[in-house]
Amino acid sequence: MNVLRTLIVAAAMLAAMSLTALAAPKSIKVATDATWPPMEMVDANKQIVGYDIDFLNAVAKEAGVSVEFKNTAWDGIFAGLDSGQYDAIISSVTITDERKAKYDFTDAYTSIGQILVVPKTDKSSKTIADLKGKKVGSQIGTTGAMEVKKVAGVESKTYDEIGLAFEDMAAGRISGVVCDEPVAAHFALQKKEYKEKFKIVGKAFTKEGYGIVVKKGNKELVALLNKGIKAVKAKNLDTKIHTKWVK
Amino acid sequence: MSENPTTHTPIAVGDGAAIPHKSDAGLFTAWRIAFFGSILLCLFLAFGRPDQYLAIFKFIPDGILVTFKVTVGGILLAIVFGLIAGLGRISSNRLINGAASLYVEIIRGVPLLVQLFYIYYALGRFVKIPDIVSAIIAMAFCYGAYMAEIFRAGIQSIPKGQMEAALSLGMSRRQAMRQVILPQAFKVVLPPIGNEFIALLKDSSLVSILAVADLLRRGREYASESFNYFETYTVIALVYLIMTLFFSKLISMMEERLNEGR
Repeated sequence: MNVLRTLIVAAAMLAAMSLTALAAPKSIKVATDATWPPMEMVDANKQIVGYDIDFLNAVAKEAGVSVEFKNTAWDGIFAGLDSGQYDAIISSVTITDERKAKYDFTDAYTSIGQILVVPKTDKSSKTIADLKGKKVGSQIGTTGAMEVKKVAGVESKTYDEIGLAFEDMAAGRISGVVCDEPVAAHFALQKKEYKEKFKIVGKAFTKEGYGIVVKKGNKELVALLNKGIKAVKAKNLDTKIHTKWVK
Repeated sequence: MSENPTTHTPIAVGDGAAIPHKSDAGLFTAWRIAFFGSILLCLFLAFGRPDQYLAIFKFIPDGILVTFKVTVGGILLAIVFGLIAGLGRISSNRLINGAASLYVEIIRGVPLLVQLFYIYYALGRFVKIPDIVSAIIAMAFCYGAYMAEIFRAGIQSIPKGQMEAALSLGMSRRQAMRQVILPQAFKVVLPPIGNEFIALLKDSSLVSILAVADLLRRGREYASESFNYFETYTVIALVYLIMTLFFSKLISMMEERLNEGR
């Protein structure tokens, strides 16, 4: 009798445990290169903040998962996904054919373009092509770097972080920087050290969409995140996040 | 200078690649296997697997050139810094001695990567110099401190009698240093300088962090757009290995040549 009771209790406990495990929200690890303000950056309290962070938290809430962010250097962020150090990347990643061949993307969640920033002393340059024979900086492995390399006669210089490119332009070592529109606006229009020195020229010259990256074949996670993105867009939460971060 | 000093104090400085010695048969074989093995592997990868590897080999040559420039420029300037600071370290003038010692202590206490960032961006604030020159200055500034210790030890390893003999022949101290001590010290410091050269060649990969388009940076650029991380870094490692092995052999040959002259 006693044995039977113990068995029943044990079975009930096991069932309860498995139930709580099922009910507990699934947690996903997400990498971001927090050197890309205002999309992702580290604030004064050493917290990772920004548009992408708020956006993914909103998506995760809608999809019923919890997110753990991991600050990872951009150069190698895809390699970490390959080796399974995290489940996804949200880091202003433009959906491109080359990347789609190796990784899976969610639907695009926002659209941006590449834009050129030059020193205020440069009165004539309108496009990258006007900087022939000069050095133009961008972050390594970004669509900005790819755009610079496309222009013949311009020397491409790649940096680990976009902030270092702007600092090098302030030091006069390069004549232009190409990056995503919101990032350019952050550095050239808002940062007080650079506001006086730099200007954005022209309009964005590419049309790109940011997507969340997952390992090739992880259909389950893509579906889950897409569901969350749809819900966030339906509730118009993304517009609120946009106005909060992008000025 | 007819006297052959045979009791040089061995200098135990250096973290470069092991420089093979003629007498060291085991090392010599290992060198051969590593050197010719990596060249053969490179050839095999480039022509046996051209779809994955040929593009990498086509992408990196200008990076090799930059690495070479930074290394050679760095070592030459470091020898100048090192010689000045090394002479300062043995100077009896307290001010010069103090300044040289301070330089050595400060530089040796700050990590090279931090120094590179510091000198590169600090220089950028005040003077407009090209990135590669800043990188060379930063490397030389750091290695000069280690070089100073090598020169100091090398000069001090020359028996005191040499200086005394030179002075008694009527030479000035400066003359004695230039014509008697330094030529002998040079032979003593050559192996450790060779070590430093190899170490600097490897450390030059750190300048890739300053957006100097050296070998490692070219590799990272390639990998970050092609996502072929394994293939790219295999090639980068092999090219560095071939370079360090080639130069360590060259240095050991130079050393043998110098020893023959004794």
